[in-house]
Amino acid sequence: MITFDKVSKRYASGQDALAELSFEIGAGEVVFVTGHSGAGKSTLLKLIGLVERPTRGQIVVNHAQLANVRRRGIPQLRRHIGMVFQDHRLLTDRTVFDNVALPLIIAGTAREEIGKRVRAALDKVGLLAKEKASPVALSAGEQQRVGIARAIVGKPPVIIADEPTGNLDPQLSAEIMNLFAEFGAVGTTVLIASHDLHLIKRIGKRALVLDHGRLVDDYRPAPP
Amino acid sequence: MNTRRQAERNVRKPAPTPAPPAASANAEPRRSRLSLRARLAAWRDQHLFGFFSSLGRLAARPWATALTVLMLGFALALPLMFWLAFDNARQLSGGLREAREVTVFLKPALDSAAATDFAADLRKRDDVAAVSVRTPEQGLSEFRQLSGFGEALDILKDNPLPNVLVVTPRSVPDGDNPPLVAELKIDARADLVQYDATWRRRLSDILGFGERAVAVIAALLALATLLVIGNTVRMDIQARAEEIAVMQLIGASDGFVRRPFLYSGLWYGLLGGVLALAIVIGAEWAIAGPLDRLLASYDHRLALSGLGVVSALIVIGASSLLGWAGAFVATARHMAAGHPT
Repeated sequence: MITFDKVSKRYASGQDALAELSFEIGAGEVVFVTGHSGAGKSTLLKLIGLVERPTRGQIVVNHAQLANVRRRGIPQLRRHIGMVFQDHRLLTDRTVFDNVALPLIIAGTAREEIGKRVRAALDKVGLLAKEKASPVALSAGEQQRVGIARAIVGKPPVIIADEPTGNLDPQLSAEIMNLFAEFGAVGTTVLIASHDLHLIKRIGKRALVLDHGRLVDDYRPAPP
Repeated sequence: MNTRRQAERNVRKPAPTPAPPAASANAEPRRSRLSLRARLAAWRDQHLFGFFSSLGRLAARPWATALTVLMLGFALALPLMFWLAFDNARQLSGGLREAREVTVFLKPALDSAAATDFAADLRKRDDVAAVSVRTPEQGLSEFRQLSGFGEALDILKDNPLPNVLVVTPRSVPDGDNPPLVAELKIDARADLVQYDATWRRRLSDILGFGERAVAVIAALLALATLLVIGNTVRMDIQARAEEIAVMQLIGASDGFVRRPFLYSGLWYGLLGGVLALAIVIGAEWAIAGPLDRLLASYDHRLALSGLGVVSALIVIGASSLLGWAGAFVATARHMAAGHPT
């Protein structure tokens, strides 16, 4: 579902963010990307969503060669990738419902279906009761769950999350991570950047370990 | 929307890649076979979304919106008033512009019979369409009517006016004096030959200059309108940069992001155009009284024309278009900045 082939990224500033990175992630896999800050976790996720372009190497996401996706094709690509951000990036002047509905409105989904699917997504993250609330009125954990609902409402085959638990306490973090693990179980590919090694160990999923832009370990837990 | 097909269209034919044909189960589009009707409905929904969200944004900041609209209204009203004034001047001069008669004042010694002979001579010429003779008596009564010096004329014992021939040449080319005029000037019977071409041309030039001046002023103020709207929309975009970034990250096309701003520009233009019309109509109303008195002194032989319904609609349409274009320019710059190279 996601393939990196000798991918390097050097920013215009001259900073080498990723070097000769190669890995493959299958459909339905839940994979963590970890490493110290500045190791290239965020850059890796940005390359998948075409927020940045690689300097060298090939990336295939959802069967699309990203090098061949032109500027006009980027929105279509992103509609098949659910993105979750550390600071959730909700629009504070709209209700929870409107925030979650945004990807569907953008994709041109029929109005009758939007309501159904938004409620299904909110139900999945346990926030069905808060659909009319403003995101500002929610707790940090709830805000992040709204962000996740927004990422999954379009049923994308790939979800990428950049430090989704960075602002949360350990218990909330575990809840959020378990939620992601559930998506993997229904066939969605999930890629989560996190520096919380303790938590990653507890979840017991595959983890790519980056150090200064290089892949130093591809940890796979023994099957239970 | 047929997401899968569109995704493929946007991707150049890939070189053989490790994309396995069997693994498409997850990528299978969920909305692949939408009917045309559903797509039209989605299109309509997206436009309604842009339409109302832009209106909501304007209404959310009534003072800022009012200021912008006021600025636009005045910028548009000015050229409109110039144009109205110019249009009226052109209409009033319309009759004069057509004048092409050659007026020949005969020597006072010539009597009416000689004048008639002269007229008959002229009628034989190929380049003369018509000749009419005005006797001194006719001239005097005409003068009495037009000048308002009736009583003063009564004091005169003799009629001081000569016979006058009004010669209408056949097709006068714009530009040089016809040879007829030159020949009349050297004719011994003619005292003074007055040909209106020179000042007719001058009037034409003045009107042409006015027309150009109005066009230049209108173009400059239209540019100002474009800039005002462009700048307003640009500030609007900056204030909503985060929202735009999020929308782009979750797959909004440039068109989707741009649409509400284009609608804002359209609204600004529309409201500015309506205000400009209101200003012009108000100004017309304000000068109507004195202008009426002025026209009355000319026995109402002059009639002024105001702004017609068609012109008003054109003004509103053009200002809306200007607003849309200003917003388009402002958004185009921002859109280009939001994507990787």
